[in-house]
Amino acid sequence: MNLFRSEEHVRNWSQFDPGTEDGIISVADGMRIMSTARHRERLNGHYVSSMRDYVSPYFQRVAQVTRNSPFWAPPS
Amino acid sequence: VVDTRQLDQTYHFILETFVATGQAPHYVEIARRFGVAPDEGRRMLADIMSAGLPCWMAPDSDLIASFAPFNNQPTLYRVTVDGERKWFAQCGLEAMAMTWMFPGRTMQVDSLCLDCGEEIRVRIRDGVIEETAPESACLYFNIPYRKWRDNLPFS
Repeated sequence: MNLFRSEEHVRNWSQFDPGTEDGIISVADGMRIMSTARHRERLNGHYVSSMRDYVSPYFQRVAQVTRNSPFWAPPS
Repeated sequence: VVDTRQLDQTYHFILETFVATGQAPHYVEIARRFGVAPDEGRRMLADIMSAGLPCWMAPDSDLIASFAPFNNQPTLYRVTVDGERKWFAQCGLEAMAMTWMFPGRTMQVDSLCLDCGEEIRVRIRDGVIEETAPESACLYFNIPYRKWRDNLPFS
C-alpha cells in the first residue's frame, strides 16, 4: 500500500498490474476508509475486546468508498 | 485462556509507547509496566501478537517489527508531529490512520513516489486532510484486499 504522486505515476510504476486499476484510490478516500471506529478507537483502552464490533462498519465503509469493487471484497 | 482485559492493556501500552517514543517496547518493558517477571512479559507480547491484529514480529526474534499503524523500522512513511519527526507508519494507508494517534494535533506524512522518487506530503488533523502535495497524489494497492493477510509485511 503505497503513495504515488499521481495515477499516471502508478501506471508508470514497474510493479503496476494492469488488472488492478481498482486498487488506485485518492488520498481523501484512503482517509475515509481509515476513519471508522476500527482505526479511530485504537487508543480507547478496550480496543481488543471491542474490535469485533468495529469490523462490520469498516467493511461497509470500504464497500461504499470503492463502490463495491470485487478488488476490495473482504476475505470470505 | 487468554485474559481479554490483559490483551487490552498490553495493546494500549504498546501503542502508548510508540506514541511517546517512536519505537516499540521490548517484552521486558511490558513486564515492568505490569509488574510481572520478564518471561510473563514475553508471554503477554506473544498473546497480543497472535490476537488477529495487523501486527508482526521480526523473524526469529521476540521483537515487534510492526504494530499498526506504526512500524518499528524505517518505512517510506515518515511522520512528523509538532516538529518531532520520530515515527514511521506501517504503510501508505496506515499512514492516514496515524492521525488518530495524535488527537488535536496536525500530523505530517512525508513519503517518496515509488515511480519517480519525488516527494509527497500529506498533512492531517483529526482525520481532516489539511494539505496533499501534490494534489494529484493517490494510494495504490496491487494486491486484492482478500489476499492482504496472506503476507501482511508484503501487503
